[in-house]
Amino acid sequence: MLKIEFTKVNDHFILSLSGEIDASNSVDLDAAIQEILEQGAKKILVDGTQLEYISSAGLGVFMSYLEEFQEKEIQIIIFGLLEKVHQVFIILGLDKLISIKNTQEEALEAMA
Amino acid sequence: MFKFQKPNIGKISVLVAILSWLALLFVDITRIFGELNQIESGVAPEVSYILEISFFITVFLFYNYSIARNERNEFLNLIWRGASTGILAFGISILIRGFYLTLGDSRLSEDPLLRNFFYHINFALTTLFLISCTLLWKRLILYQKTKKVVQQWQAFEILLLISMFFIFFNKNTLDYSFLFGLVFLVIFSISLSINLKWIPYLTFKEKWKSILFLFIIIVSSSYLFIQLLSYSDAKQIPVNLTDNLFLIGLFAFVFIYSLFSFLVTLFNLPTSSVFEQKLVEAINFQRLSQSIKPGQSESQVLDILMDSCMSASYADAGWLELRDESAKTQLIQERFTDKKSILKITEILDKSKPFEHFDWNSTENELKVFHGKITHPVFKSAFMAPLVVNQKTIGRLFLLKEVRDGFNKEMINIISTFVGQACISVENYRLLNEAIKTERYKEELKIAQRVQRSLLPEKLYHNDAFEIAAFSAAADEVGGDYYETWDFGNNEFALIIGDVSGKGTSAAFNMSQMKGVFHSLVQTHPKPKEFLIMANNALSQCLEKNHFITTSYFIVHTEKKTITYSRAGHCPTLYYNSLEKKSSFLSIEGMGLGILRNQLFEKYIEEKSFDFNSEDILVLYTDGIVEAKNSQGFEFGYERLKNTLTKNALKNPEEIQQNIIQEVFKFVGKNRIADDDYSLMVIKFK
Repeated sequence: MLKIEFTKVNDHFILSLSGEIDASNSVDLDAAIQEILEQGAKKILVDGTQLEYISSAGLGVFMSYLEEFQEKEIQIIIFGLLEKVHQVFIILGLDKLISIKNTQEEALEAMA
Repeated sequence: MFKFQKPNIGKISVLVAILSWLALLFVDITRIFGELNQIESGVAPEVSYILEISFFITVFLFYNYSIARNERNEFLNLIWRGASTGILAFGISILIRGFYLTLGDSRLSEDPLLRNFFYHINFALTTLFLISCTLLWKRLILYQKTKKVVQQWQAFEILLLISMFFIFFNKNTLDYSFLFGLVFLVIFSISLSINLKWIPYLTFKEKWKSILFLFIIIVSSSYLFIQLLSYSDAKQIPVNLTDNLFLIGLFAFVFIYSLFSFLVTLFNLPTSSVFEQKLVEAINFQRLSQSIKPGQSESQVLDILMDSCMSASYADAGWLELRDESAKTQLIQERFTDKKSILKITEILDKSKPFEHFDWNSTENELKVFHGKITHPVFKSAFMAPLVVNQKTIGRLFLLKEVRDGFNKEMINIISTFVGQACISVENYRLLNEAIKTERYKEELKIAQRVQRSLLPEKLYHNDAFEIAAFSAAADEVGGDYYETWDFGNNEFALIIGDVSGKGTSAAFNMSQMKGVFHSLVQTHPKPKEFLIMANNALSQCLEKNHFITTSYFIVHTEKKTITYSRAGHCPTLYYNSLEKKSSFLSIEGMGLGILRNQLFEKYIEEKSFDFNSEDILVLYTDGIVEAKNSQGFEFGYERLKNTLTKNALKNPEEIQQNIIQEVFKFVGKNRIADDDYSLMVIKFK
């Protein structure tokens, strides 16, 4: 089960993910990011506090936007990940390419 | 040894009948000769009687045999046989009479021998006609026989047999016993004659024909009977053969049954169309209920449905409206109308009661029918039934009539049954098609599975310095896990394990690319870091942008006892140190292949090297192992994996591998299916 919500707060979007992301619902995540980009987002905060699991397919979605983010100078920061989910990002090496913060405050601070 | 040929009853009885008749003729002629020449011939009338009975019985046997043998015993055929025999007997009798008329008062016309000869011919033909008719009637009476009717008929046959011998007792006089016997036979004939169940099965045309044939039989038998009466008074006949209770009884039976049949058929004429209609409906129902055979299509069922409904309701127009998934309607099977007028009528119907209550999306359309009047210049009443397949309304059947209230209860019942049956047939057809399709997909997947299994190595390279065991299982038919070994020679080996993102078929395709990359690069004997960089370059060209591959690459030198390795996003390798008797995960930085598709990738890849001791164990695995979840949602995790290895460290690689897998299964629980691929490779140094 995956619940995706996003809201625009000031100059940035907050994308909240709760539940599990696997091969079956990773397309929903992709669609959500797509929509945020269409709305012209420049700063995206991903709220991962409710995210319990992310499969390789879910990671693939984030990965597939890296280039686009870089080209369009879009900032993306993930915050509040559970330890085991954070571990998945670290093992894959995605933490080197996407900024991951512990709390929303830290994330906002880092966004500048 | 003698071999008796099975006697041919037909031929024998014909022969005996002819001989009996000839003997009868001869005896009677002898008698006349005697009378003419006033010599006592000394032939008792009993001789004639015996010959007569023998003639009766053999003719009876012959007809019984020949009718039973004849396969084509349609009712009309049977009646025609009786009628034709009647015409023959009647015709010849008329010819004889005509012959006598032409003779006028000549001497020949008074010749008793000639008269006697003709009398015998008439007698024989009358007998043939009556007996053949009786046995034909037997067939008709015993159509749809019950035990009671069969018994009744057998009693009648016994009575007839007795009546043949009555002549010995009665001596050709018309007395009360004769009358009593006759009345008895007549009553029996009447009670048998109510068995007319064959008549409704005739079609309208056949009924007309049978009325004609029955009329011929009635006329023939009446004429022959009158002729027979005239013989009773004739003086020239020495032994009266025709004033016989058997023959008179048969006359009564044949006449009564023919008359009954004639009248009943006549009165059945107006209702025959109803019976025919019911028969057609039954046949239509049977055609509809037969499931569609391979090679046939739904439209054939709908064709039968339309025909059946049209004929069951005597509708003046009708059509089917089908709706596909995109709610587009399509008109098919138009009968006596065209698309343009249908559209107009549908428009009227959808606005008028009760048709406006119909809802395509309702789930209760099954077995519902709508009928009522419409305001249309030609059609006055309309009927509509939804076609529901698999709880979905796929179409509507429309029937129109030019009269008001044209659809009665019986019609509506039968049409609903037709519609229901047709829908079941279509549903069965669709289910069957789906089953075939799924079966084909399964077959394709099996092939993919076979191909993919062959991608995993059959042989794991090693030498005396270490032992190796591996295991792999896929969540779906095909998986994305990959492992392989390579022998460089000079005691150097490469080990690789990989996991392709996603699962199922797409993962399996990428896995085969990974295998290709491994086999090309390994030829150049690269260092682990070089290998990963080149692999990343290669895979960046061919992986879809949201796919990546994690892998760990090891080079083991068994003489130098060193392990050099690099990691690309793959879960950390488990290592058992035999000196410390401890398991731990090898920590090394590294990014998955395909994540960063440019030169920057190098920056995130490390290479490490260490020495190993004998009894050390290297466990390569994929994340399916550590992420395996139990029913409470807990993962197997790194700790459990580590502990399992420590616990089993003294065993050989094969056993370690089996124990780890067993431990995972035990943790996950029997009833859960793995939702990720998982693979394991265990290397133990000696």
